[in-house]
Amino acid sequence: MFTMHPTLLVGPADWDAAAMPKAEFADRIVTLWRPCDPGVAGAVVYGSPRHHAELAYFTHFTPKLEPAIALIPRAGEPRLLVGGGVNMLGAAKPLTWVDQLLPLRDAATSITQWAAETGALALINGDAMPLRLREAVGKTLGATPLDVTGAVAATMHRKSMREMAMVRAGCATLEVTVAAMRQAHDAGQGATDIVLAGEQTAYRRGAQDVRTLFGRDGRLMPFIAPVAEPVDPLQVYVAVRHGGYWAEGFAALSRSASSVRRRASAILAEAIAAARPGMPHRELAGLIAQEIAPSARHFVTVRDFGHSIGLALEEPYRLNETSDGVLEPGEVYTMRVGLADNGAPAVVSAMVAIGDGDQDVLWKEP
Amino acid sequence: MVTFDERLKAICARMEDRGLDLIVAIHDGAHFIETPNPVMVLSGFKSLGPAACVLDRTGETILIVTPAWDAERAQVVCPGARVIGGDDMAEDLLAVISQHPKAALGIAGLSVAPFGIAKRMADRFSNAGSADDVVFDAAVAKTDDEIAWAREAARIAELNYRHLLQIARPGVSEDELAIELRWHSKSLGAEDNFLLLCASPHNRAVQPSTGRKIAEGDIILAEITPSFCGQLAQICRTVSVGTASELLRTKYELVVEAMNAGIGAAAPGATMADVCRAINAALEAQGYGEYCHPPHIRRRGHGLGFASIRPGDVALDNPTTLAPGMVFMIHPNQYLPETGYLLCGEPVLITPAGAEPLTGRQAALAELS
Repeated sequence: MFTMHPTLLVGPADWDAAAMPKAEFADRIVTLWRPCDPGVAGAVVYGSPRHHAELAYFTHFTPKLEPAIALIPRAGEPRLLVGGGVNMLGAAKPLTWVDQLLPLRDAATSITQWAAETGALALINGDAMPLRLREAVGKTLGATPLDVTGAVAATMHRKSMREMAMVRAGCATLEVTVAAMRQAHDAGQGATDIVLAGEQTAYRRGAQDVRTLFGRDGRLMPFIAPVAEPVDPLQVYVAVRHGGYWAEGFAALSRSASSVRRRASAILAEAIAAARPGMPHRELAGLIAQEIAPSARHFVTVRDFGHSIGLALEEPYRLNETSDGVLEPGEVYTMRVGLADNGAPAVVSAMVAIGDGDQDVLWKEP
Repeated sequence: MVTFDERLKAICARMEDRGLDLIVAIHDGAHFIETPNPVMVLSGFKSLGPAACVLDRTGETILIVTPAWDAERAQVVCPGARVIGGDDMAEDLLAVISQHPKAALGIAGLSVAPFGIAKRMADRFSNAGSADDVVFDAAVAKTDDEIAWAREAARIAELNYRHLLQIARPGVSEDELAIELRWHSKSLGAEDNFLLLCASPHNRAVQPSTGRKIAEGDIILAEITPSFCGQLAQICRTVSVGTASELLRTKYELVVEAMNAGIGAAAPGATMADVCRAINAALEAQGYGEYCHPPHIRRRGHGLGFASIRPGDVALDNPTTLAPGMVFMIHPNQYLPETGYLLCGEPVLITPAGAEPLTGRQAALAELS
């Protein structure tokens, strides 16, 4: 889901060696080289505050303020180029296991020099680079450099035990966040206060980031100006990030029973039951679409009924009727059912981990 | 002072001078204090995802937003525009432009757009020149609405700072403080907050928060920058954890003096460089000349977006002449070898009479007892 991107990422993002040891990052780097030609000697990994899942995957680093670039050699220690001058490196150090931190200034020159020392380089997440930087990097790496972003994504979507623990922690925060919103709603609070109550709960549980959208009549809006009056039903979307990993959920908050919400929940339960390893994405999406018909789909499910989720709020594996993918063990999906019956809309969702033989519901709207 | 419509007319007039039929503004939706947003200048709309705005010489505006479902909000914000909601901004934009095959185009926002978007634009519009100056020059002075929003953002910033003084204490981490303040400013109506917050007995710079716990003897630096209706305002403040030393008090008075020298120099007709020189002079007079240049300092303030960040930096190399309606930060934010980095700064509005701080209470060294 698109949410309003904050101008600075302020939440806790320090590297916790106990939760995610250096060895796990070393394993990821070893895996990085498997699909690469042996002639590739290093990788340039770009991350911006908005798009940095790959950078975080290899370095744990969250670029809170400005972009960062990891230079990862096939042999030897990686370097991390971080925004700001030398005097800003101190704030970057706790966020990563990488020892060698350097200022990002004149990144293109740094990459050129590193290429001269190292050899042929692959590029990861180059599409998120600003045009000028990407063009300058292109002069070193060639106009069409070897881009292994897709190969990395294919590795990232299967979560390790430690990653799964982070996702579970995020889901636990999501649970209490939505519960706090529901409680505030039941108490008759205004729409903004309801959302703020949820956000505060998430932050106080140590969430790294919290994003919300909310609105009446099934709409979803970012927070722009306070809405003081109570809204019933209030549709909310919440995404919480814990230890780098996202969990998200939709909830339709209402003090009265709603047939459309009940129906959406029933369809979701059916879809979850079908979400077993080996299940084709398109078949699962088709099942949901069939159950929703002849009702109209809610706008957030027009294209997809969910996607895999992890270090990126939206990973590229999508649950839709044209996807060629299948559910695989180790993946985590956000699954959504949204529909409108007689003009009354509702969206409900669940966080689902795909196991070896079945699925594990990590969170579901009650 | 100008209205949004008057600004748009000024841009259209400039298009005519430049022989441009259309301006195409693009933005990726990653709102950042240092990156201007030409789509916001032309439409007033702060997007969730990549967005574009096409303006013709008559003032007709087409606003392209992603995701598709955000089009309804865009239409409310921009009732006079034709709004297109889609899931691929570049594709929708190219479709719109293809209806004007012979139009002379200028593009704004291309150089800072992500490669994945910008490359498609650059390939398709290889003959189009940059229109950054056309868009952002017209937005060098804020509109009446933007000034009102900046005042409200400054009010929220001061309340946010007051909250910081209430909750900061040894044992609380920088991150905990930062997220609580971010939440608090939202509860006051700010939709965003560029909040740099760090603490140390001797800070080298103001930096993003980490998990470091605040300790007795620290100096907390806080750059509090709420956004109200998309307009930022900032205050820069310094807090001593425990009783401040006489040395710290004296040095902080010096940076306040430097800031006031800058505010005093900021009048219509002066340049941004003049403001910087006035600040530097106060510090140089006390023997800190070498600390008035990189790597210790690169600017003494800056414009305040999100839409336009003109008039740019308070820096020696900025010749921009000040005029009424400009809003920007004046902050000495100086590293001194005896105390470390100290934050001190106010948002100001240039009026015919000079610089008016938007804050009710100017920076003063605070102490947590």
